[in-house]
Amino acid sequence: MDNKISMDNKISDDRRSFIKKVLNGTIGGSLLLVFSAGAEIFKSPEDIPAQIPSLKNKEYEITKAHFAFIVDITKCIGCGSCCVADKREYNVADGYYRTWVERYLKDYDDNVYVDSPKGGLEGYQSPREDIDVKVRDTFFVPKLCNMCKEPPCVQVCPIGATFQTPDGFVLVDHKRCVGCGYCIQACPYSVRFLNPVTKTAEKCSWCYHRVRKGLQPACVSVCPTGARKFGDLNDENSEVSKILKGPGVITVLKREMGTFPGLYYIGARREVI
Amino acid sequence: MQSGNYSHLIRIILGIIVFAVFGFIGKKLLTPESFGVYGHFRADAIEEEAAREIRHWTNASCLSCHAYEAKIHLKGRHKTISCEFCHGPYADHVKDGKKTGTLPVKKGEDMKILCMRCHNKAIQARPGEVIKTVVMPDHLTSQKVKETHNCSQCHHVHAPLMYIEKARKITGFDAKEAL
Repeated sequence: MDNKISMDNKISDDRRSFIKKVLNGTIGGSLLLVFSAGAEIFKSPEDIPAQIPSLKNKEYEITKAHFAFIVDITKCIGCGSCCVADKREYNVADGYYRTWVERYLKDYDDNVYVDSPKGGLEGYQSPREDIDVKVRDTFFVPKLCNMCKEPPCVQVCPIGATFQTPDGFVLVDHKRCVGCGYCIQACPYSVRFLNPVTKTAEKCSWCYHRVRKGLQPACVSVCPTGARKFGDLNDENSEVSKILKGPGVITVLKREMGTFPGLYYIGARREVI
Repeated sequence: MQSGNYSHLIRIILGIIVFAVFGFIGKKLLTPESFGVYGHFRADAIEEEAAREIRHWTNASCLSCHAYEAKIHLKGRHKTISCEFCHGPYADHVKDGKKTGTLPVKKGEDMKILCMRCHNKAIQARPGEVIKTVVMPDHLTSQKVKETHNCSQCHHVHAPLMYIEKARKITGFDAKEAL
């Protein structure tokens, strides 16, 4: 009798644990289906799939890195996404632009009309109505720091607050800059300005902080047509390497200045300066 | 023979030495620590710039949470458009994996302005092979809809041709051919 009761208990215990296990399994399984394994939530910028694959899972070698920026004018639609992203990434003060988009119009007499309302920040909502000519050619030109290999701004800085890093970026040391403005005058491309808040020189940095983490510059990342391209020249398979090695006509701005820009243009007419 | 009075020379030499010593100490004190590692600048400034806050992430980071939008966005013609361009930067929305703010969704007239930033044919500089452009009231009349219609009434903002292709499949009717 005693034996039987304990046996019964054992069976019901087993049954209970069996049902428990089955239930646990089903709930667990259905939860896994809801939160599918593919939905990976990225908690820090380092977790995001790198946009510059050659920099992923590798120690950044500052003396060996080599980058290029290419702007394809034939693909730019003047939406101003780049300008918006840039303003947001750096909280640039109103009326100042680290990057901007110009609109060029050419008539049949080779007169060139250039405008850039609010640097293209609000896009181009209306055609130019202040000129009455037959337009021959019209296009958008995004402008940003040329990252010269021989930067005049670095040459003129009296205290080494603007400098060229070993990986070819021209940056500003905001702790040392005294805001004398020599570099602003020296820049042939007018990309520099005095930050009205910090009173130090500021310019496009090709998003150095993003590049170091394997991300594209903000403007490249948001460009919907791929008019802006950035990449690693040490990587033979990167898009920029292929373009620069290819047969396309690639130009730089103000070549005669001898600044050797790292920013290249595709489809730039000779009027583009 | 004149007595060797070199005091003036000694004074000059002492002066130079004092100047050099003070100069040397001054330079040591005033030069930042990492100055001159790579060149005539403070090498630490490179790392300071590299440590700047990343405010824009990527579409992959947005869509890793917004799975429903991902399904539509990645299949449509708008797949190359950055989420953050229309909705604002990631950093205003999430910090350390936690939601800190709500990003705006453009509606009504604001949305129309946003669409026309890219799709306005009146801006001649837009290459036709890159983007499809429309003249605004004309597009509405040619599609035989009211002039008060907003873009999103026919076009899904994440996949602009989704509804149109669906309608085409159901009805077997191509509006373009009919015109």
